[in-house]
Amino acid sequence: MIGRIAWRNILRNKRRSLILVVSVMIGVIAMILTDAFSVGMMQQMLTNQIGADAGYIQIHKKGYQLDPVLKNSITDTVPVSRVLAKDSSSCNISERLRTFGLVSSAYNSAGVSIVGIVPEEETNVTTIHNHIVEGSYLSNKPGDILISTATAEKLRVGLGDKVVIMASRLDGSIGSEACRVTGIFETFDSGFNQTHVYIPLETAQQMLDAPGRVSEFVVNPVDAKKTDPIAVRLESELPSELEVLTYKQMLPILVMQIQLYDQTIYIFYAIIAIALIFGIINTMLMAVMERTHEFGIDMAVGMSNRRIFRMILTEAFYLGIAGTALGLIVSAAVYIPLSHSGWNLAMFSESLNSLGVGTTIYPVLGVSSLVNTTVIIPVVAVIGAVYPALRAVKLQPVEAIRAS
Amino acid sequence: MDTKEISGEIVRVENVRKIYHDNGVPVDALRGINLTVSPGDFSVIAGPSGSGKTTLLNIVGTLDKPTEGKVFLDGEDVSSKSRRELADIRLRKIGFVFQAYNLNPVLSALENVEFTMMLRGIDAGERKRRGLVLLEELGIGELANKRPNEMSGGQQQRVAIARAISNDPRLVLADEPTANLDSETAVKLLELMEKLNHQDGITFVFSSHDPQVIERAHRLLILRDGQIVNDKVNK
Ligand SMILES: Nc1ncnc2c1ncn2[C@@H]1O[C@H](COP(=O)(O)OP(=O)(O)OP(=O)(O)O)[C@@H](O)[C@H]1O
Ligand SMILES: [Mg+2]
Repeated sequence: MIGRIAWRNILRNKRRSLILVVSVMIGVIAMILTDAFSVGMMQQMLTNQIGADAGYIQIHKKGYQLDPVLKNSITDTVPVSRVLAKDSSSCNISERLRTFGLVSSAYNSAGVSIVGIVPEEETNVTTIHNHIVEGSYLSNKPGDILISTATAEKLRVGLGDKVVIMASRLDGSIGSEACRVTGIFETFDSGFNQTHVYIPLETAQQMLDAPGRVSEFVVNPVDAKKTDPIAVRLESELPSELEVLTYKQMLPILVMQIQLYDQTIYIFYAIIAIALIFGIINTMLMAVMERTHEFGIDMAVGMSNRRIFRMILTEAFYLGIAGTALGLIVSAAVYIPLSHSGWNLAMFSESLNSLGVGTTIYPVLGVSSLVNTTVIIPVVAVIGAVYPALRAVKLQPVEAIRAS
Repeated sequence: MDTKEISGEIVRVENVRKIYHDNGVPVDALRGINLTVSPGDFSVIAGPSGSGKTTLLNIVGTLDKPTEGKVFLDGEDVSSKSRRELADIRLRKIGFVFQAYNLNPVLSALENVEFTMMLRGIDAGERKRRGLVLLEELGIGELANKRPNEMSGGQQQRVAIARAISNDPRLVLADEPTANLDSETAVKLLELMEKLNHQDGITFVFSSHDPQVIERAHRLLILRDGQIVNDKVNK
């Protein structure tokens, strides 16, 4: 019966209740969608970074991570290939030789990372082949080069034009190679675009006079969740002068950012909760004060303070539940289509590209965010009603009855 | 049967004084009231406006505390009881009818009557049955599902009486229950209370300054300036 009375009291002032329900609803939507888009954006940043270059696991010579120079490349790839052969079905593998160098045209030059790749292998590991905007993806033909739109613009070259790449060899002399631009790429990450060019592995090895040498092996487990166990196993099987790194070690700042987010989201929840609590206090206080006479009668007929208190909290709880339910429905209506099609933010593409996100964000809703919201919000509604309920039970019966 | 009932006293008011402070000015609302109410009484407290009728009824009904003196309900001193105990005493022993706006506006007539039974923990089926019987007895059975704003003042007062007697109280306190009614309706309401008093032995104490009400009282207490100046039994 208390429940029924609570409902009727809610319906009594429909406008006020509606305002409260809508503000709860907005709180729920804000919590769910902000979280879903933030998580989606961060996961995209991570997968983009992994997909653009890093991969899930890399094998280097020890020391390469700190000092990525030619001297620290792997000289003998045979033992590595032997160990990796066992993983050929569960992992995609590519090898690269990379160094810092200069790419120049007649007009300008740019400092870049020159990456020697095996084009077919690389397609299984990174997404660069998906980002060709002009020409074609790299072939194995010696002297072909793949550069980004940013580099092409800087050097004022186009498809078919010649550029010269230069870099230090092992002995300190300068190796150089004249290359023809056969493809132009553009990823979501503008920083990455400006600093990477691709040439065939063999061309790189020749130019740098480093036959058979490789800077890194990229190992991408088909099932990304197996990254850690595979990395542990490789570490134990590979010669000790090699090191195995996962994306967590290669992209520590991004990984840390994601971990930090898990904590900062609670601050965001707290802000929404506090705003809601004040809204509820305000509205419920009005509702309670209007009913002073009624509470006086309730007290006269023997309703205990505890029951009056509980009745007011019940009203807030129902409002909270109603707002949460509506909020979940609206969030689902926004989230479900966007999680498939993504949210196109082309208008902010420049700033998103500098973050390495991509122009379309696919929200990702975690179970914990859903559970947090559905639990936190109704509880918050009840908390907001505590003060108004205390005010109601503090009323003196005689004075309450005298109130009109 | 407990001893208090045998002692034949539902209410005993001893030397009750009530001093209000109106902006720091003390107002003597009651000055030394002594009074007993016995089972089956049908008493009217009469007196001019400001004589202390409401104050006295509120103190007897444990809604307010005397500044001095004691109130016993069924032989029990209520002055030292907590708010919670007093709420329970009111629930079990006292029925209230106020001048107007007695009812919960979001509840139907039947639900208003059921409400106090619910507070006592009577289950839904039983309280509905009893509620309907009571409304029928008070001649408003057909209004069971009406909300207060769909009822006349007299009908609302009948519902309030039904609610007041729904928990078989020892005593019904009514503060000017007919003040907002036209005289015809007032007389009918009074006849109803007389009937309940006569047939069911329900004890009533109510206040009034309506001569029609006063002349029907079995016992008439006249208050003036916070003192009982006359306590006589009619008939
Ligand atoms: N809360 C209060 N604060 C100050 N004075 C009060 C308060 N309540 C009542 N009084 C005063 O106490 C006296 C008795 O008031 P009470 O309401 O009991 O009279 P009453 O006989 O019921 O009058 P009426 O016929 O007008 O209802 C009056 O002088 C009144 O002004
Ligand atoms: Mg009065």
